Amino acid sequence: MTDRVIAGHPSDREIVGRISSVPLRGRIPRYFWWVFLLFFVIALLFLFSIGWLLIEGIGTIGLEIPAAWGFMIVNTVWWIGIGHAGTLISAILVLLRQNWRNSINRFAEAMTLFAVGIAGLFPILHLGRPQYFYWLLPLPVTHMPWPNWRSPLVWDFFAIATYILVSLMFWYMGLVPDMAVLRDRAQTRGKQIVYGLLSLGWRGSAYHWSRFETSYLLVAALATPLVVSVHSVIALDFTSALIPGYHSTIFPPYFVAGALYSGFAMVFTIAVPLRQFFGFQAFITDRHLDNGAKVMLASGCFVAYGYISEAFFSWYSGDPFERYMMWNRAFGDYSWTFWVMLACNVGLLQFLWFKRVRTNPWLLFVLSLGINIGMWIERYVIVVVSLTRDFVPSMWRNVTPTWVDYSLLLGSLGMFFALMFLFLRVLPAITIFEVEELEHKVEEGKA
Amino acid sequence: MSVTDSSSLRDDFANEPPARFWRSLDDLSRTPSFRVKLGREFPDIAARFGRAVGTDRRTALKLLGASLLMAGVAACKAPAGIAPYVDQPENIIPGRPRFFATAMPLDGYAMGVIAESHEGRPTKIEGNPLHPGSLGGTDPIMQASVWSLYDPARSRNVRRGTEISTWDEFLQNLAAVRAAYLPKGGGGLGILIGAETSPTLKRQLAALKAALPGLKVYRHAPLNPPAAAPVPVYDLGKARTILALDGDFLGQGPGKLAYARAFAEGRRVRKASRQMSRLYVIETVPTLTGANADWVRRLKPSAIDGVVQKLLEAMSGSDVSDPDLAPLLADLKAGNAIVVTGPQASPYVQAAAAQLNQRLGAPVRMIAPLEIAGDGDLKALVGDIGAGRIETLLVSGVDPVHSAPAGLDVVSALKRLKALLHHGLHLDATAKLAHWHAPATHYLEAWSDGLAYDGSAGLIQPLIAPLYDSHTLHEIVAALGGDYTAGAHDLVRATWTLLDDAGWTAALKAGRIENTAAARVAPPAPALPAPATQSGGIEVKLVPDPYFRDGAYAPNLPLNELARPLTKLVWGNAAEMAPKTAAALGLKDADEVELVAGGTHLVLPTFIHPGTPEDTIVVALGWGRAYGDGDPVGANAYPLLGQAGPLIVGKTGQRGRLVTVQNDYSMEGRDLIHEVALTEWPGPPPIPEEQPRVMPQWDNPDEAWGMSIDLTSCIGCMACVSACVAENNSPVVGIDEVDRGHDMHWLRVDRYYSGDVNAPETSFQPVPCMQCEDAPCEVVCPVNATVHTHDGLNAQVYNRCVGTRYCSQNCPYKVRRFNFFDYNKDISETSPLSLLMNPDVTVRERGVMEKCTYCVQRIAEARIGGDVADKPIADGTIQTACQQACPTRAITFGNINDKTAKVVAEKAEPTNYAMLAELGTRPRTTYLSKVRNHPEGGSD
Repeated sequence: MTDRVIAGHPSDREIVGRISSVPLRGRIPRYFWWVFLLFFVIALLFLFSIGWLLIEGIGTIGLEIPAAWGFMIVNTVWWIGIGHAGTLISAILVLLRQNWRNSINRFAEAMTLFAVGIAGLFPILHLGRPQYFYWLLPLPVTHMPWPNWRSPLVWDFFAIATYILVSLMFWYMGLVPDMAVLRDRAQTRGKQIVYGLLSLGWRGSAYHWSRFETSYLLVAALATPLVVSVHSVIALDFTSALIPGYHSTIFPPYFVAGALYSGFAMVFTIAVPLRQFFGFQAFITDRHLDNGAKVMLASGCFVAYGYISEAFFSWYSGDPFERYMMWNRAFGDYSWTFWVMLACNVGLLQFLWFKRVRTNPWLLFVLSLGINIGMWIERYVIVVVSLTRDFVPSMWRNVTPTWVDYSLLLGSLGMFFALMFLFLRVLPAITIFEVEELEHKVEEGKA
Repeated sequence: MSVTDSSSLRDDFANEPPARFWRSLDDLSRTPSFRVKLGREFPDIAARFGRAVGTDRRTALKLLGASLLMAGVAACKAPAGIAPYVDQPENIIPGRPRFFATAMPLDGYAMGVIAESHEGRPTKIEGNPLHPGSLGGTDPIMQASVWSLYDPARSRNVRRGTEISTWDEFLQNLAAVRAAYLPKGGGGLGILIGAETSPTLKRQLAALKAALPGLKVYRHAPLNPPAAAPVPVYDLGKARTILALDGDFLGQGPGKLAYARAFAEGRRVRKASRQMSRLYVIETVPTLTGANADWVRRLKPSAIDGVVQKLLEAMSGSDVSDPDLAPLLADLKAGNAIVVTGPQASPYVQAAAAQLNQRLGAPVRMIAPLEIAGDGDLKALVGDIGAGRIETLLVSGVDPVHSAPAGLDVVSALKRLKALLHHGLHLDATAKLAHWHAPATHYLEAWSDGLAYDGSAGLIQPLIAPLYDSHTLHEIVAALGGDYTAGAHDLVRATWTLLDDAGWTAALKAGRIENTAAARVAPPAPALPAPATQSGGIEVKLVPDPYFRDGAYAPNLPLNELARPLTKLVWGNAAEMAPKTAAALGLKDADEVELVAGGTHLVLPTFIHPGTPEDTIVVALGWGRAYGDGDPVGANAYPLLGQAGPLIVGKTGQRGRLVTVQNDYSMEGRDLIHEVALTEWPGPPPIPEEQPRVMPQWDNPDEAWGMSIDLTSCIGCMACVSACVAENNSPVVGIDEVDRGHDMHWLRVDRYYSGDVNAPETSFQPVPCMQCEDAPCEVVCPVNATVHTHDGLNAQVYNRCVGTRYCSQNCPYKVRRFNFFDYNKDISETSPLSLLMNPDVTVRERGVMEKCTYCVQRIAEARIGGDVADKPIADGTIQTACQQACPTRAITFGNINDKTAKVVAEKAEPTNYAMLAELGTRPRTTYLSKVRNHPEGGSD
């Protein structure tokens, strides 16, 4: 039954056993560790590049006047976008009572948390004097300037900080009942203590469950607007600037759609190998893939609409700078980025109209990789290519990234996946109690 | 002879042949060997060791102990620099700069300057308004010249071969040279100098030659061929038509600042006066003059004589039907015309220009040549060395190994010399061959004098004692004449006996000696050499680099990094050619091109430069000069100079390095520079600056600073940029950083071409910060590091900046610069460059944004002065660095709240416009449209 959200009829014991065996007994294949080692080495490269950047200075990355923003801002926008899918899955679908989300929300939330954490790191590293990043905070300290509330970067700072905190809270709240399960099933003293502390004294009483359900819904309600607001605020960095290619009112909704698009692509990038290697096919079914692909299709269409409207309005505005910007994107020195972006984000999207593609996990995986690349390039086209050709031609200049740029990008991926692997190892990757609940609901609904 | 104890001194007095006769012990003590003894500390101790045959154990231990003790004692000797004043020197108020008039020798001619000194260290150069060669303006070289004073690569010690020696030993050697050649009457002794106009040097050399009749003085000035005939001084102010025949009077020559001023004054189109001269240019390389012309023809070097001949014939009435020259002929015949040429023009063109001027009755004053004429040039010197006529040579201020023309083997000639004495600022290739090297003084630490382009004399006075063991050429020549103690001051003072003490002081204060302009002489006989015939094939034209000149300023790093006015290239020269020529040769920008002529082989990157005449390759001289331990920058093109053989141009297939600060030639159809024909002046009204606005209007109750830049007056010379760098402690970032778009110049001069790519029109636009009233940068800074001041400036607070660079992103003019690295990290306290810094301007650290603030330090100083005096700041009190440096007075700055201010009048002109006004940024810097006076439109 492909449209079932849980395959087979696992009992509670089976569900708990299968999910908790990974963190508790480390029942994971050996190659898991080899892959983890690979990502760990790349994560070390990330740390090395950060150290290099901090010691040698911001000039070691590919920045210049005019293009004083580069890879790192692209990375920020891209990682934040990736994070969005997690919040959408966990918060909005909870509110919409989409029960198929239950088996994928935990790792989608973890994905959000790690992605947003990495995304939040880049703007700080991108500062000329990163040691003073806290000057963006309205701290009542006399030696510090008060932040300029007109600056979108201040909004940004708060948007990302809020997002990290709320995501962390939401993720942790959902973990509490499962922590208690792990505590109860742990067989070593160390694990009992650690999971015991993390479970915050959860006893599973009806009182607990009642409070939990209410507060979980409330936090979900709190997190829901963030899906829209965070990326909208980041989009305002560009929208409120007057550079052609930045100065466009479509950016807030278009960035949110793009975020969901790339975020779901990342969910597939992780979910497809996950279900394969950990034997979670029963919990992450073809139904999940199909539904997720539909979300991608919808958000991808919106992104494509964004491209069309951007092109149309740059022509329709009659503004020579806007028109040149569009011409330069398509036919200038960086035109290949534009066409790769279209091929990945609009071209690959068309495959998702077919159900056969939507339910084929490995095909989805490949499409997701392509879309992730395309979405990264889309941000590059917006952030960097626009800057190389702005108002005054005497200051036009192409920009070349350095090895530090590449290693920071690659390293951030390594860091992300290394963290995901650690998460899979030490925490239940799938929400135990929700899957049990779901199974009961499914069984009872059938009965 | 050991210099050991006092008894040996007595022997010296007895044995050493004194300088002929001596009248007193004082006289005798002037001998160099005595001075060497005086200079050596503790002759007694040295004597004991001189006697001791091996040191015993006891003495060795004593010495060990003593040296330990003394090492500590040495620290007790306070360096003079840190001692506080016990008695405050008169007129020095710490923190308040002082200004002195002096003059900078440039290509041998004096350019009057006012040097700013902070507690005894010169930091900045301004033009001297009283000096005829400056009139208050400066050029980029003058602005960068203070850097040369503190240049860390300067030679600091006298050297004997490769060993460090002392000035006294150098003098002793000079005495030996003198003693050796005195009996021969100087035969075999030679002096090689560059272009020099110093009357003191002239007097000294004349006196020396009187004493040593066989002495030969050679002159090596590759850019200034010796002028035997009278030289012209032009009066451009009255001319309605100016024709420049291969004469770059705006960009080169000692009169360029005065000519540029007069040229600009003749073209200031305002409501009150719409008079404007018309500039015709026929030239063989693109020059600043050609870029500012209303009508320009660029011809390959061998073709110009033919065209000028046609022009001459047409002027004498013979019927030459060349429609191309028709407007020029009409304007020349209309009267009030003048023909300008330069020393680099062909002899035929120079003679033709003189003839045309005579026929036109042009306001040209002929004066006798000002430069010190030598007995021969470098070629003659090499010949004389080869023939054994010269054995000992003193080289001063030139680097003949670098600047030897084709086919002249200077190195082996110099190696044949018995003694080569070098005097110069750097350990250059010539110095490395020399047996003796004496460091030369920079002009800011020397006494000297020099002549302006019109012959007016100016005094050069030092602002600082020599930083190193440096001396002037005057002292060396005096020593060769037997006077070992005379200081440069006394030598210069002795030249100007016509001045009494009051007159001398007045001359020092004014920076020039009044009524010394050269007298008019009779024009040369109207003889025309035969014109050259146009040759086929590609020709190479060597031109001096606009900033390095003959290579003298190649070690000046700010000049390396200053964009060349036309090519905008930095850190290297290139083979410049027209797009058509490059296409014919199959070359693209930065492709390496190989120029082979005779035995010379030169590899350069290609630079496609619209406006270069077809079939011509232009290469700048002055590059590729080696000095110190570093590698030379650029390629040395001197070996091609005067190369007669055919030129073979080939490709190496490699890519060279071409670094430019402006990649795009074209304005891309954007409305950045407004141009208007004089006949249509003032043209359509610009976009009104008032745009709908959301933010409240700023209120500037006291002052509101504003700037106006006249694009018609701007000749694109880059003096303003060089001045900005010098005033605002802008760092030199190096070739790699400029290549990555990290240059740190707050002000730039954009150069755009328009029209036909093969005969383009050039436009320049200086772009400082616009100080927008609705500044896009201010809104986006998250930490309020860029804010609006009460007087309407767009200030940058370095200490607050965290380096998001959002301000630069949002700046439509891209005038902000970012410290991607710590560009000042090499300027530690031990580096002489730390003395260069303007104490009124913060030295910026890594990771902060910086920008032009209308020289806010000067505004603050004036405001403090105004507050103390309780008076408003008068118009003209504050001059920004760029404004002050501008030779054509294209920049006006002032308080736009003061309705009588000059800047208000400029902004009220109908051609006043704001760049990118449609963005609603409301810039405080506005431009006056560039007015063109094309002949096609008919004369106004």
